[in-house]
Amino acid sequence: MTDFDALLKRSFAEAPEPADDGFTVQVNRRVVQREAQAKLRQNVWAVGMAAAGAAIAYGLYALMQVFGQEILATAGLEVAQAYGALSSAPSVSGQAQSLVQSLGAGITQILLITAALAGGAVAYRATQD
Amino acid sequence: MALRGFSNLAEATEAALIIAAQAKDQAAFGELVKRRQGWARALLRRMCNSHAEADDLAQEAFIKAWDRLRDLETPAAFPGWFRRIAVTTFLMAKRRQKAVFEVIDDASPIADETSTPEAAAGAKIDLEKALARLSDAERLCVTLNHGEGLSHAEIVEMTGLPLGTVKSHVLRGTEKLRRMLEAA
Repeated sequence: MTDFDALLKRSFAEAPEPADDGFTVQVNRRVVQREAQAKLRQNVWAVGMAAAGAAIAYGLYALMQVFGQEILATAGLEVAQAYGALSSAPSVSGQAQSLVQSLGAGITQILLITAALAGGAVAYRATQD
Repeated sequence: MALRGFSNLAEATEAALIIAAQAKDQAAFGELVKRRQGWARALLRRMCNSHAEADDLAQEAFIKAWDRLRDLETPAAFPGWFRRIAVTTFLMAKRRQKAVFEVIDDASPIADETSTPEAAAGAKIDLEKALARLSDAERLCVTLNHGEGLSHAEIVEMTGLPLGTVKSHVLRGTEKLRRMLEAA
């Protein structure tokens, strides 16, 4: 840094701007105005949202008055149809049970025939010996 | 709203004022403006070459600071953060005025300032008057470099001017100031 650069830096540092109360007052006034405007905007927004919400609720209410019964009737019919379809479906457990029962009966007969054949074979063998 | 924990705003530290102002305490912000206005107005007056315009821009910068104070991460960063707002406000005003921040990449001859009628008449030239005779871009770069102690890179980052242009403006502006102040 040259001597002149140092002198320049000192010159900048030694040239403060005197405080001006009017300036501070003006900035404060603008801040107050700005905050008031922001608050007003916020209130307008809140009122607007409330009005929009009320309009939507009223619209839904009006729709329900016109179509409510029809919608409920259709929904009830759908539920009833679904329930009927479920209850009239063939019972899987019953089929399985009868299959097991018939299998059980067959096995008894097979076992009896097998036992008779085995006994006959043993008796034949004994007569041969 | 009174600043919590301080019976008198004048006793509050700047950090406490900033934290209170971030919570939308208008009185704390008013005290902050009161303390910082001299520096802010001086900075903008050196850049602007017009006291009235500088004060308008300083007001605008403080209002922007009020709006964006929540973005400030630490109170210690306030001076640099506010300086950036002030410089941006100045540059936007100049753009509105269609001022040209010329891009220069060579050291074209510097006019001999000692040959001006004022210098010839032996008029006393103080720093402010000398700055007023620089171009907008030179004044901006010299003020940020010598007055605010910013490096060339920091000025580039703040103003968006190319590095070579910033260096040239600082060099040429400083040289012009030297001639004017030495001749005074």
